Amino acid sequence: MSTLSVTNAIASLMVAAGIAQAQWLDYPTPGIPRTADGKPNLSAPTPRTKDGKPDLSGIWAATTEVIDRGPLGPTATPRYWLDLGPGVRGGLPYQPWAGDLRKARFAANSKDHPMTQCLPLSIVLMHSHPLSRKVIQIPGLVGILSEYNMMFRQIFTDGRPLPVDPQPSFYGYSVGKWDGDALVVETIGFKDGLWLDGRGSPSTDAAKVTERFRRVNFGTLEIEITVQDPKAYTMPWSVKVTQSLMPDTDLLEFVCLENEKDRSHMVGK
Amino acid sequence: MFGRLILVLVLFAAIPAWAQWFKLPTPGIPRTADGRPNLTAPTPRGPDGKPILSGIWQMNGKYLQDIAADMKPGEVPYQPATEKLFNSRRNGAGGKNDPAARCIPGMPKLDALPYPFKILEAPGVVIMLFEGFTTFRQIFTDGRELPKDPNPAWFGYSVGKWEGDDFVVNTIGINESTWLDNAGRPHSDALHLIERFRRHDFGHMDIELTIDDPKAYTKPWIVKEDLRLIPDTELLEYVCNENNKDYEHLVGN
Repeated sequence: MSTLSVTNAIASLMVAAGIAQAQWLDYPTPGIPRTADGKPNLSAPTPRTKDGKPDLSGIWAATTEVIDRGPLGPTATPRYWLDLGPGVRGGLPYQPWAGDLRKARFAANSKDHPMTQCLPLSIVLMHSHPLSRKVIQIPGLVGILSEYNMMFRQIFTDGRPLPVDPQPSFYGYSVGKWDGDALVVETIGFKDGLWLDGRGSPSTDAAKVTERFRRVNFGTLEIEITVQDPKAYTMPWSVKVTQSLMPDTDLLEFVCLENEKDRSHMVGK
Repeated sequence: MFGRLILVLVLFAAIPAWAQWFKLPTPGIPRTADGRPNLTAPTPRGPDGKPILSGIWQMNGKYLQDIAADMKPGEVPYQPATEKLFNSRRNGAGGKNDPAARCIPGMPKLDALPYPFKILEAPGVVIMLFEGFTTFRQIFTDGRELPKDPNPAWFGYSVGKWEGDDFVVNTIGINESTWLDNAGRPHSDALHLIERFRRHDFGHMDIELTIDDPKAYTKPWIVKEDLRLIPDTELLEYVCNENNKDYEHLVGN
């Protein structure tokens, strides 16, 4: 246990959560197109709201890939959950201090990952969390409800501008507008020192994150994330994450602090 | 005593931050000639004629401290063991045992937090977004039944439907660790909570709570909590465990 890294501990958690989920919620999601045999037709066309815009609502799971996780062996892991680097052309353009911080965080087995303290994740990291998210799209607002720690994020789509000097926060302040079929969300007002991936790529209070949400068909959501953070990176960079619709289920309750026993076992520098 | 005092201090400390931040005219609020929100304007209604509950609401803070604040002494129908447990927690004597002291939110106290919450009405579901704990609650309105044997949960499992102008929410499956109020009134895992949301006018709403819990109380009992709409602002981010210094000062076992 002492050498088990945080990310592996998190993977164990995911597996446990998957089982719990299979035990519990099995309720047919209304309004899902189905094939003749009753299965959800996830390649059906993108659903739309009354105003003709794509409807992003649904429960979404991060796309996974199998990664060798040391003691865990090959494990299905959300792409970019551990490391954004492979998704960014040329890798992440760290400022020297930011690259050093990322190295130090990784060398410490990511023991200070915000998840080990049951804290909110950065919006970038949240998109790849192994537990699902539920998107609620109503006029003026898109809400993202996270199964992880039962927290929510609001994206205001009522035309309001970004605030001039927002209070620094984990999720920042987000406004979104439609650009054709893409919901373009701009967020500022982050706290310093957030984690953008599991190895600790940092962001600062100067960060501006732009997300382009595109629901390309009924079952697929693509999110192109662009991070502009001149304090931590020498140039803006982008990564694209994809999520799949989870039909016929719902979020489970995940209260991270309920009986948290991991942190005292974690080791690192 | 000390524990309870700390909780009260924390509540007040948060209010100035809230007042400092968001000043944004909420769209669609009726206003008087001088531009102020007219909170006694009629209840807004949707195309189906039902009251619209959406908005940012703030609970009368007294019910968090004492859910029976409006009841006379002796009116809460405790089972003997419940009363004994309650007495052992009174005056902050069990403050440390309240899950909320460890930053774990739970029903039904969540409704009564003095921080604002926002109601969103989406197809098939009503969502409550709570500034306190930055957490949320789902109330399914797609016609599903309550599950037979839900996993015990901090929030329980909630379904809602309209009865006239009342939005009636039935919740079961709340684990027995949560408290009904800061005073420490307990409940059991048999709690069936019924909330009737009643918006009287644009700016005022009640939640009438029925505590139906035969293991803990000899009969169902009802409390009515009042809320007001908070116009022209937005929820703040509240992360309870970011820097929680209270817990070590609380007493309990």
